[in-house]
Amino acid sequence: MASFLPQFQSIKTTFDHVVLAVEDVSDLWPMVKKGFEERLPFKRAFLNNKTRNPVLVDELPAEFILTTDARLRSRFPQEQSLFWFREPYATIVLVTCEDLDEFKNILKPRLKLIVQNDEREWFIVFVSKAPAHNDQATKMAKKVYAKLEVDFSSKKRERCCKLDINAPDANFWDDLETKIMECIRNTLDRRIQFYEEEIRKLSEQRFMPVWNFCNFFILKESLAFMFEIAHLHEDALREYDELELCYLETVNMVGKQREFGGVEQGDDQATLLGPARKPLTQIVHDDSFREFEFGSIYLPVKQRGYSFIISFSKALTLHESMLPFCMREVWVITACLALIDATASHYKDGLAAPDVEKEFYRVQGEIYTLCRTKFMRLGYLIGYGSDIERSPVNSASLSMLPWPKPAVWPSLPSNASSEVLAKEKMILQDSPRPKHFGIQRKPLPLEPSVLLREANRRRASLSAGNMSELFDGRPNANDSSGPLSPLPKVNSVSMSRTFSSPGNFEGSIDRPMRLAEIYVAAEHALRNTISDVKLWESLSSIEEFEQKYLDLSKGAANNYHRSWWKRHGVVLDGEIAAVYHKHENYDFAANLYEKVCALYAGEGWENLLAEVLPNLAECQKIQNDQAGYLSSCVRLLSLDKGLFLTKERQAFQSEVVRLAHSEMEHPVPLDVSSLITFSGNQGPLLELCDGDPGTLSVTLWSEFPDDITLESLSLTLTATNNTDEGAKAIKSTEAIVLRPGRNIITLPLPPQKPGSYVLGVLTGQIGQLRFRSHSFSKGGPADSDDFLSYEKPTRPILKVANPRSLVDLAAAVSSALLMNESQWVGIIVRPLNYSLKGAVLHIDAGPGLRIEERHHFEIEKHEVGTQNMTNLDNPPENLSPVSTGVKQLTLEDGKIKLPDWTSNITSVLWIPLRAVSDGLAKGTPAGTVVPQRQSVVDGLRTIALKLDFGVSHNQTFEKTIAVHFTDPFHVSIRVADKCNDGTLLLQVILQSQVKASLAISDAWLDLQDGFAHAGKGDGRPASSFFPLIVSPKSKAGILFSIYLAEAPAKDEAKELQPVSILNIKYTISGSRNLGAHTPVAEELTGPDNDKAEYLTFRSELVLQRPVLDPCLAVGFLSLPSSGLRVGQLVTMKWRVERLKALEEKVASDNLDEVLYEVNINPENWMIAGRKRGYVSLSTKQGSRIEISILCLPLVAGYVRPPQLGLPNVDEANISCNPPGPHLVCVLPPPLSSSYCVPA
Amino acid sequence: MANTACFMIVSKNDIPIYEAEVGTVPKKEDAAHQHQFILHAALDIVQDMAWTTSAMFLKAIDRFNDLVVSVYIKVIHTRLMLLHDSRNDDGIKSFFQEVHELYIKTLLNPLYLPGSRITSSHFDTKVRALARKYM
Repeated sequence: MASFLPQFQSIKTTFDHVVLAVEDVSDLWPMVKKGFEERLPFKRAFLNNKTRNPVLVDELPAEFILTTDARLRSRFPQEQSLFWFREPYATIVLVTCEDLDEFKNILKPRLKLIVQNDEREWFIVFVSKAPAHNDQATKMAKKVYAKLEVDFSSKKRERCCKLDINAPDANFWDDLETKIMECIRNTLDRRIQFYEEEIRKLSEQRFMPVWNFCNFFILKESLAFMFEIAHLHEDALREYDELELCYLETVNMVGKQREFGGVEQGDDQATLLGPARKPLTQIVHDDSFREFEFGSIYLPVKQRGYSFIISFSKALTLHESMLPFCMREVWVITACLALIDATASHYKDGLAAPDVEKEFYRVQGEIYTLCRTKFMRLGYLIGYGSDIERSPVNSASLSMLPWPKPAVWPSLPSNASSEVLAKEKMILQDSPRPKHFGIQRKPLPLEPSVLLREANRRRASLSAGNMSELFDGRPNANDSSGPLSPLPKVNSVSMSRTFSSPGNFEGSIDRPMRLAEIYVAAEHALRNTISDVKLWESLSSIEEFEQKYLDLSKGAANNYHRSWWKRHGVVLDGEIAAVYHKHENYDFAANLYEKVCALYAGEGWENLLAEVLPNLAECQKIQNDQAGYLSSCVRLLSLDKGLFLTKERQAFQSEVVRLAHSEMEHPVPLDVSSLITFSGNQGPLLELCDGDPGTLSVTLWSEFPDDITLESLSLTLTATNNTDEGAKAIKSTEAIVLRPGRNIITLPLPPQKPGSYVLGVLTGQIGQLRFRSHSFSKGGPADSDDFLSYEKPTRPILKVANPRSLVDLAAAVSSALLMNESQWVGIIVRPLNYSLKGAVLHIDAGPGLRIEERHHFEIEKHEVGTQNMTNLDNPPENLSPVSTGVKQLTLEDGKIKLPDWTSNITSVLWIPLRAVSDGLAKGTPAGTVVPQRQSVVDGLRTIALKLDFGVSHNQTFEKTIAVHFTDPFHVSIRVADKCNDGTLLLQVILQSQVKASLAISDAWLDLQDGFAHAGKGDGRPASSFFPLIVSPKSKAGILFSIYLAEAPAKDEAKELQPVSILNIKYTISGSRNLGAHTPVAEELTGPDNDKAEYLTFRSELVLQRPVLDPCLAVGFLSLPSSGLRVGQLVTMKWRVERLKALEEKVASDNLDEVLYEVNINPENWMIAGRKRGYVSLSTKQGSRIEISILCLPLVAGYVRPPQLGLPNVDEANISCNPPGPHLVCVLPPPLSSSYCVPA
Repeated sequence: MANTACFMIVSKNDIPIYEAEVGTVPKKEDAAHQHQFILHAALDIVQDMAWTTSAMFLKAIDRFNDLVVSVYIKVIHTRLMLLHDSRNDDGIKSFFQEVHELYIKTLLNPLYLPGSRITSSHFDTKVRALARKYM
C-alpha cells in the first residue's frame, strides 16, 4: 500500500473538492453546462459529520465532471476504495426525449443500466427542449417526463427533475441543488462508514508486527481529507490530531528508530504546506509520513501546526546525532516560515470572531518567536552573536536552549583559512557598544554554555582531544540525554577573548578549534544542511542576517500586539528598537523603547525597566530630545537604588543637572515626584493664630545620589476645609542644597486664612528647570487604584486658628475717680494665650481728659484679689510709685512699649490722667431727686487704646475704655430749723461718692449775698469737728448757722455773689486698685508734702429767699389703721388749707381754682382717678378742702406714697406736712388659698 | 527541591510586590532579570487564562524551554507566580496554598497597605521555608 503514497499526494492536489459525475446520455451537457456551473460553489449545504449530526457548510466547492472524462475512468478497484474520497459524490443523468416510443425502447433500458449500480447516488435531469409556443412538443415532453417519473422515482425518493431549456423554471435550480445535496450527503455518510470500518480494523492490528503505519496513515488521512473536502473542518482536524498522536507514538517506539532519514539534500525544508516540495514522507523512510495540508483553514490548523512543529522538533532532537548539523533548527525555521506564509495568505481580516482572531495572531506570534529563536541560534553559530542584542528576552530564549548535538561537531574544511581570517578580524573588531552613562553590566549570556568548549568537546569525543588541558575539563554527562533533561549546568561564562585569540595550534587537526574556526566550520556545515536558498541568503552576511532577524522580530511583535499579548509584543518591540538603535535610527528606536519602558514602568517591573531605560535615554540624548532625555534620567534615578551603582546614579544626576542649567529650547516642568518627596515634620503641627506669619518646617527626602542645589523652592498649602480656594504657595527664594536622604528645610509662612492645611505640591527650580513633586514619602504604590485605595496622608501640617481675641484690655477699676485731680487709671492688659512680646500701646485720651505726661507710667503684674486684700481705711504702704514689681515707663508720641516680661502675664498699666471739668459741683436741696445719670454722664471720660502686637506687629486690638470721674462729695442742703431769732440752721449733707475714705480737715461756706454767717462769721462750723472722716458711700452733715442779711444795694450788683460756695479741704486715702485715691504725687512740686496732701473741693449752693412763707398748707392725712396691702385699693387724702387770704384775686364767688397734681412712682402705685385737676378753694384764710385719690399699691415694702403737688403755687409758699419725703408700709397681698388642696 | 524556582507575587495592577529566588541553585548574576522577564511575559497568558477557568491553581501555563510557570490566582486578582523546573505539581499547589494563607495574614495587618510591596522579613522567611518544604 505504501506504493500508493506518491500517488496519494497528486490525487489530493487534483481532487480537493467534491466531484459530481454527469452522465450525459443525450449529449446535453454543452447546452446546460453553463447553467449548472453557475450554481457552484454551493451556497448552503447541510452535511452530516462523523457523528451524524447535520452541519451547515457555506460555500461548498464542487466540480461537474463528465463520466467520460479521463479522470473518472480506468481505476483499479483497490485504488478506488482507498482513495474513495475522490470518487464522484453524485451522478447526474442528463436525458431528453421527445417521443414516448423512443423513451420506452431506447432510453429506458439505457437508463436502467446506468442506475443499476447501487453504490452510486444518482438522479435524472430531464431536459425539455420544446419551445414554449409549441404546445405539441411541450405536451409530448410532459408525457415523456411523466413516464420517466413513473419509472425511476419512487415514493421514497424523487429521482427526477425537469429542466425547460426554453423556459427555465426558477424552482428547478433549487430542486437540483437539493437533489445534489441529498446525494452528496448520502455518499459521504457511506464513505465515512467505510473508512471508519477500515481504520478500526487496522487499529486492532496495531501492535502486530505486520502492522504498517503507512497504511493506517493513508486511510486515516483519506478520511481526514474527505472531511476537509466536505468542509467539515472540525472533523478533519480531529482526524489529523489522532493521526499526529498516532504518528508520534509510532516514532517514539523503540525499535522503530532504525533510520530517521533526513540526510538527503532538501530534507531540512519543512514542507508542511508546500505539496510541491519533497514530502517528509521520505524522511520517515519506512514509517512513511505525510505532512498535513493545512491550506484551507487558518486558525486551528495553525495551532496544530505549531504544536506539530514543537513535537516534531523534539523528534528530530532524538535523531539529531544522525542528522546533518543543525537539521533541527533549520527544519523548525522553514516549517515556521511555511506555516506563517500559508496561514497568513489564507487569513483575511475580519473573517473570524474576535477571540478566534486573537488566538490566531497569538499562535502566529508564537511561531514567529520560535522561528526567531532558532534563527538567532544559527546566526550565533556562524559568528553573528555580537549582533544579537543581549537582552533578557534573547538571553532567556537562547541561554536555556541547548546547543545542537551533532554526533561530531563539524570540522573546519581544509580550504577555509581565508574565511577564518575574516572571522578573526570580525571578532577582533567587534567591541561591545559601551552603554550610556558608563553603565557596566555583565552581558547576558546568549549561549547555554561556552560554544568554544561545547564544540571542541563534541569534536574531542571522537578525536583524542586535549580539552581537559584547556578547560576545567568538567565532564558533561548529559550527552545523550533527551531534550527534556535538565540543562547542562555549566556555568555560562561569557565569551572570553582569550579563547579566540589567533591560535598557537596552527596546522594540527586535533588541536582545539578556535572560535573563528568554529564559526567557519558551522557555516560550512550549515551550507550543506540548508537547501532553502532564501534562508541561506539571510545567513550569508551580517546585513542579511539582521534584516531577517528584524523581520522575524517585527512579525512576532505585530502578531502579539494584535492578539493583545502586549507584554510579549512590547518585549519584541524592544528587540526591534535595539536593532534600530544599533543602526542609529534613533527616532524609531526611541519610539519603540518608549513603549517598552511605558509597559515596564506602568507595571512596576523595575528590574526589567532598568535594562531598557538607559537605551531609551541614549536615543533621546542623541536625538536631542531634551525633555524626554531629562525625564528618562529622572526615571533612572527614581528606580530602585540597588539596580544601579552609585557611580551610575551619579552620572544620571549630573546629566539632569547639566540639562537643567543649560538653555533648554523647550523647557518642560519636570516631575520629580519619585525623587524628592516631602512631608511635614514629625510631632505636633504648627499652630498659628489668625493673621500671624510663621515658619514652616518641612522634611524633604532626596533620592538623588549626590547633593543637589535647588535654586528655589515653593510648597503649596491646601486648605482641608475649603477646597474652592486654590492652594497657596509658600516660597523659599534662596537656594537650598539637598543632601541625599532626609533634609529639613524651613520656609517663611505668610499669614494664612483660618483653617487647617495639608501640603500640596512641591515646585521649584533646578537651574533653569522647573520641577514639581506631588508625592509624599514613599511607602505605597504611586497612584494605585487598589480596592483599598491608597490615600495621601491628610495629616495637616498647619493649623490657623479662627479669629479670636488674643488680648483683652479693661479698666482696672469700676468705681469713680476724682475729678480734676491727677489720678491713676489702670488698664489691665491680659494676653489670652498669646505672647505680647514687643507690643506697643497707643493711648489717646478723649475730650476732657489729659494725660499727665510729666509722670512716668507704671506697669505691674496684675494680681487677682488685690482688691480684697486692700483695706480701705488703711491704705497699703506700698502705694509709692515704684514698688516691687512695678516698673516705670515713659510715653513717647502717645505710644508706650510694653516690657517683655509682661508678654505672657496679665499686667496693669497705670496711666496718670486728669479729668478736667470746668463747672463747679452743684449742691441740691435735700429731698429732691437728683437724676444720678446726669452726674454719671458728666463724669464719664473715654480713653481710646490701640495695641499693636503679634510676631510682626500684625495684630491690632483696639478698645475704648470708659472711666468714671466724679467729685468726692455730693452736697445737698436743707434748712434744718429756723430759730426764733431768725437764725437759720443750714444743714449741709455730704455724701461720699468715691470708694475711699475722705478726711475732711476743714470746711467753710462762702455765702452769697443776702445771707450772712451767724456767730463768729468765718463761715466755719465748730473746728472741733475736724477732721471729719467720711467712709466710702456714707454721709456726713455739717451745720452752718446763717441768717438773712439785708439785700445789698442794686448798684453793687457787680460784686453780687449769686451763689454760695462750700469749700471743703480734705484728704483722700484710697487704693488706686479700687477707685479714687490720692492724686498722683507731683514730685516736681517739691518736698512740701502737707500742701500737696490737702485737696479742695468746692461746691455751689443756692440759697433762696424768702424762706418759709407759706400760703397753703398741704397735709397728708393719716392712712387707715388696717394698713396697706398690695392689691387693695386705698384712698389717699390730703387736706389743703389756705393759710393766708388771697388778696390779689377778686372773684365773684370767692373761689379760686387750685391746680393739683399727684406724683407717683408708677412702679409702686397705680392711680384710679384723675391724677391732675382743679379744686375750688375759697380765697379766705382758713378755707380748706380735702383731695382724695384712689390708689392701688403695687409693691410691698416701704415705699414713698403718692405726693400731692400744687404746680401753680410757688414751692416756697407751700408748707408740707410731713415736710420731707416719707415712707409708708405696704403689706404683701393676703395669701390666696384657692389653689390649696384640702388635706 | 527545585533547582531553579523564582517565586513572585504580582498585585492586581501587575506590579510585582514580592519576589524571591527559592531555588537551590544560586541565582546567576548574568541571568539576573531572566526570571523576571519570563514571569512578566507569562502575565499575558495568565490574563487570558484567568477568565476562562474558575480554578485558582493554573499549573504550567507557560513553558520556557525547560522552565515552567505555574500560577495561583487569588480572588482579588493577586497572582502568585512560580517559575520552576520541578514537576512536583502537588507540592507546588500546596506551596501556593500555604503562601496564599500567609499572604492573607499579611493583608490582615493593618499597617500593610494592600498593593504595596511586601517587605516583611517574616513573610520572606516563611515563604522560603515553604519552598524548601514543598519543592
